[in-house]
Amino acid sequence: MRAALLIVLFAVMLVVGSQGVSAASPATFNGAASAVQNAFVAVQAAGRDGGNISSLVVKLNDALALVQKASAENATAPSQALVDLQSATSLAQGVQSSAATVAQQGTSARQLQLELSVTAAAVIVGIAVAFYVYGDRIYRRLWLRMYRGQVVKKVG
Amino acid sequence: MDRETGVLALAVVTILAVLAAIYPILPANGENFSELGILGPGQKIAGYPTTVAVGQQFTLYVYVGNHEGGAGYYQVLVKEGNQATVVSNSTSADLPPVLTSSLVLQDNSSSIYPVNLSMRTAGLNQRLIFELWMFNSTTTSFAYTGLFAQIWLNVTAS
Repeated sequence: MRAALLIVLFAVMLVVGSQGVSAASPATFNGAASAVQNAFVAVQAAGRDGGNISSLVVKLNDALALVQKASAENATAPSQALVDLQSATSLAQGVQSSAATVAQQGTSARQLQLELSVTAAAVIVGIAVAFYVYGDRIYRRLWLRMYRGQVVKKVG
Repeated sequence: MDRETGVLALAVVTILAVLAAIYPILPANGENFSELGILGPGQKIAGYPTTVAVGQQFTLYVYVGNHEGGAGYYQVLVKEGNQATVVSNSTSADLPPVLTSSLVLQDNSSSIYPVNLSMRTAGLNQRLIFELWMFNSTTTSFAYTGLFAQIWLNVTAS
């Protein structure tokens, strides 16, 4: 009697357990897709700001692969599909938050590059002007220094 | 070398040096475009299947390239059509996709990946149409890029 009761209880648990695992809903898929889109917008902006977005793009593609895997397995392994969608969403959210830092680094690097380029251009122009103004004088002094030991002899 | 020639040479050298110094901060100027291609089972532009049975699995490779001047979020939609299907550089085929794949590409990068496909409808001159769609950050939706590729297949009943 007790064994039969246990078997019935186990069967009920199995039925309840199997009903608890339902396929991922379209809303869950839309949520993951939306997270990826938001992350992409942030990554694109970070790239425009000059940030190095290589690792972020790799992670975004990982998130997309998880969404596609979830889509393929949703009918056969719904619980795994849900896990994959959650992983994809959190991956995309992580990418989105990292993108702000990458954008900031890109802006700083671009500012430094701008300052370096402008400084280099100013130095080049300065050297050219100095060469134009003092070039003759410097050339003559160098010439004299080089040939100071020479003696001009009258030939013939 | 007379003085005028020297001044001219100095000016040319100065201009070139200044251009080299500011080159990294000049905005990139070029035509922006994306690429889509279908490769055969050997990842070459050859060896495409011409006859398959309904439900028979075969593998092709999709090539996507990004030269849009920034990161691109792409979708490749594979659609099964026939001779009557209308698709052009301005209009996508009005058919539901049998396969959708998504990828993000950095500027000046490309990707080649396999797709496993099978045909559902038997008939002569069936078409597998590959369309490239791109995410538009302003409208937050995917838009047809006008790029499509296709292979023609004779599909026999299994």
